[in-house]
Amino acid sequence: MTAPLAMAWLVVAHLAAGTLMVEQTVGPLPAADTATRQPGQPPTGRREQTQFDATRFDSVTANTLRGLFEDAVEMGLPTRPLINRALEGAARRMSSERIIRVVREHAAALSSAKAVLGPGSSEAELDAAAMALRSGIDEPSLTAVRRSRPAGSAVTALVVLTDLVRRGVPRPEAREAVTSLASLPRSDDALLGLQSTVAKNALRGPGMALDALNRYVRGTASGTVTPSTPATTDRKPVRPPDP
Amino acid sequence: MADRDLPVEPLDGFAPDVDLAARLRASYGALPPADPVQVERVTRAVLASAMHASSRRDGSPRPRWWWGAAAAALLVVVVMRPWRPGLSHAEAHRAFPVPSASDGPVGATREERGGAVRFDLVLPSPAAEVSLVGDFNGWDDEATPMVRRASDGTWSARVPLPPGRHVYAFVVDGKQWLIDPLAPQVPDAGFGPTNALIVEGPR
Repeated sequence: MTAPLAMAWLVVAHLAAGTLMVEQTVGPLPAADTATRQPGQPPTGRREQTQFDATRFDSVTANTLRGLFEDAVEMGLPTRPLINRALEGAARRMSSERIIRVVREHAAALSSAKAVLGPGSSEAELDAAAMALRSGIDEPSLTAVRRSRPAGSAVTALVVLTDLVRRGVPRPEAREAVTSLASLPRSDDALLGLQSTVAKNALRGPGMALDALNRYVRGTASGTVTPSTPATTDRKPVRPPDP
Repeated sequence: MADRDLPVEPLDGFAPDVDLAARLRASYGALPPADPVQVERVTRAVLASAMHASSRRDGSPRPRWWWGAAAAALLVVVVMRPWRPGLSHAEAHRAFPVPSASDGPVGATREERGGAVRFDLVLPSPAAEVSLVGDFNGWDDEATPMVRRASDGTWSARVPLPPGRHVYAFVVDGKQWLIDPLAPQVPDAGFGPTNALIVEGPR
């Protein structure tokens, strides 16, 4: 009897302190506690936890969110994307109803993403796929991306696909470009180069993004374009040169 | 109309056939009057066919249908200059310039040694404080303040990040959320758009 009582006291103490540690259950987990890590300290390889800071919410909202997180754990979904969505909403000073609605929608998208990508997908893949679904990309497109990267991570492909569609590239053309580049060697570099090229040309007007996409894919496939374009801007390199 | 003469005169050397002439006159008188629209249409067709009669008379060449096609091909070749693709691309870039920092925020990320990522942001207007928020600091706008370099005015922050996908945004003066317009973007799914960063780590 003493063990359950002690556990109950621990839970009560956590709730009273306003914090609840939700442990991840799916996929390899990158660190999320960099706010507490000293600058320059390399990330640890241990199993990380994400802290749900309940003090940012009122008690009703916090309890509702806890319920959503526990439901996610029971469904085998990662909770850290949900906690991040909640914290983002609180940081943007959104209403409680909106935060709960967004977290609930994101949990549903994570569940759909897991069904599409498979149970062996990483947390980052599920989160990226969930955002892709919420941006209007259909499930067959996610399946095509998954098939184009049967062994490696599909995170970059999913991020780039979502970005291309957001910048106005038609979904069929975006899917075709991403899946064709994802099967190349050094595909992440090629995909990030595609994203950078399309992003720069999309600012020049409608139609330029699709034209840039077609030219980049043709050039990359034929080897005339070196897939080394930085991920963000061409003002500074994203990746330092190899030693 | 019935009392009008025939439109043709009798041929010389032939005696006029009164009966035939009377029958022709009757048939000619029974014809309906000409339609003015038809008359105008026929007149236009005749004038159009005779439009280049003067050029034929003075020896100048007649316009040909392929002159337009040749001019279009020449224009395409001169403008695109397929033998100098670099120059054409440069002119196209000048014609459609990428927005600079004066038009909006310009950001950049760079992986550094030791598992850290440097975030840079150039703002189009002055700001008192800029902070970096993301899933790596719990979206706390006080956790990662950015430092302004006096040399070029770039706001910068260095954050140790593990390999993987990270989502971030910039907060200007504690209230305005900005994203890098050129970096990979996470769509607005309830709160507003953010940027995505994929850290690959050491190779």
